[in-house]
Amino acid sequence: MTEAARIHPGETPEQHAAFEARIQRGEKIEPGDWMPAEYRRQLIRMISQHAHSEVVGMLPEGEWITRAPSLRRKLILMAKVQDEAGHGQYLYHAAETLGATREAMLDALLSGQAKYSSIFNYPTRSWADVGMIGWLVDGAAIKNQTMLAGCSYGPYSRAMVRICSEETFHHKQGKEMIVTYARGTAGQRQMAQDALNRWWWPALMMLGPHDADSPNSGVLTRWGIKLKSNDEVRQQFLDEHVPELLEAGLSIPDPLLHQDEQGHWRHGPIDWSEFWAVVKGERGLNRERLATRQQAHQDGAWVREAMSAYAARTAPTA
Amino acid sequence: MSAGPDTQWPRWEVFKQDGPGKRHQAVGSVHAADPQHALYTARSVFARRPAAVSLWVALAQDIHAITLEQRQAGATLPGTPGPAQPYRVFGKASQRRAMTFVDDLGTVEAASPQAALEQACERYGDDLLVWWVVPEPALHRSPEDAPSLDSWFAPAQDKTYRQQGSYGLVGRHPGERRREQP
Repeated sequence: MTEAARIHPGETPEQHAAFEARIQRGEKIEPGDWMPAEYRRQLIRMISQHAHSEVVGMLPEGEWITRAPSLRRKLILMAKVQDEAGHGQYLYHAAETLGATREAMLDALLSGQAKYSSIFNYPTRSWADVGMIGWLVDGAAIKNQTMLAGCSYGPYSRAMVRICSEETFHHKQGKEMIVTYARGTAGQRQMAQDALNRWWWPALMMLGPHDADSPNSGVLTRWGIKLKSNDEVRQQFLDEHVPELLEAGLSIPDPLLHQDEQGHWRHGPIDWSEFWAVVKGERGLNRERLATRQQAHQDGAWVREAMSAYAARTAPTA
Repeated sequence: MSAGPDTQWPRWEVFKQDGPGKRHQAVGSVHAADPQHALYTARSVFARRPAAVSLWVALAQDIHAITLEQRQAGATLPGTPGPAQPYRVFGKASQRRAMTFVDDLGTVEAASPQAALEQACERYGDDLLVWWVVPEPALHRSPEDAPSLDSWFAPAQDKTYRQQGSYGLVGRHPGERRREQP
């Protein structure tokens, strides 16, 4: 993106220079402070997509609440799904401080206009998938969100700090669940391995396209929204998770995976055609996920009406 | 995004107190039909884990917010004098990393939000990065008597399955493994 394209009509190069100097000094930008229209637009885009992902993320795991193998696991999963709802709320709030409305954001999700992370369009085939999502998907999310916790926009970075501390619980319970299975019977080990085979590549892909193919990265880095590139975050994710998965006795479904001289784990080529097919809804459960959200929204209409009627009845008369 | 009629419930800002003697901090917002609904929703969203003993909510429209940058550009809060009343003032003092919130500072008695802000600047320092000024009657609080406080916040204490510490360490710590690498 060129310099000229980022300065919108009505904005001056001096305003941009002062703004970028603030970013350089490591200052947080707060609602009410001057910011380039493009900074605001990019943040609303990112934060609302992130919020939608949290909300849709409840679905693949929510399906398993009734089928959890023990009461303890059921309580854990309910707490986790409730967290995802809370994370959506933190994030919608952060986007609202930029002038987006909650209603418009929800409309965009329900109408299919807005994107969310394609990772949630993969089906959960077995109970072990629930654990693998906790370990790999939440593990990848934490890597990304820890980076975003340092971002330049105050409300987004604060939401990320809260979210990361809760995601750490999701990560650990998933890891515990999978390691338990990996140490279990042959059948349980196979379940854990099958789940890893299903989720390994999607988890690597959820950190986004390679840096060379990532259209928004330049401006996001310049303005301190993203502090690391997709490939850097992916590398961190690999270096942490590969040794742990191997230690658990699982094998990673990538024949080209190896450690380089610096000790970094290197993956084989990623099949991005599969990623884009899922993003576009040509593969995976995009339609089913949206239909479930729309149904839930419709089914909740009577609650919203009842709340409004109650509030109107009990409001102090002026 | 579609431009339908705005039928959403009003937005309430939520202030959470982590422990006795700590300051209430602005932690985010909820949409709710009335103050009680806002407090219940705030509890579900922001107090799912321990470290909460009190919540306040205030309608977003009742909060007068101004940043240092806006003040330096000459902006002010509404200044038309009305009856003198207590205003709660909140401020953000630091740019250090992410964990800086808009924190409760105290109460001033003033006839307008601008007059409250000026008093607050005198009392708490003129260099704060963000100020929020809220008329006291606009703040709605979670119950403060011991039994209901217990029923509001104690249940989160027992839910050990929500804490990452309940899951122990599986395998070795990543830091330990990193230190071993050449």
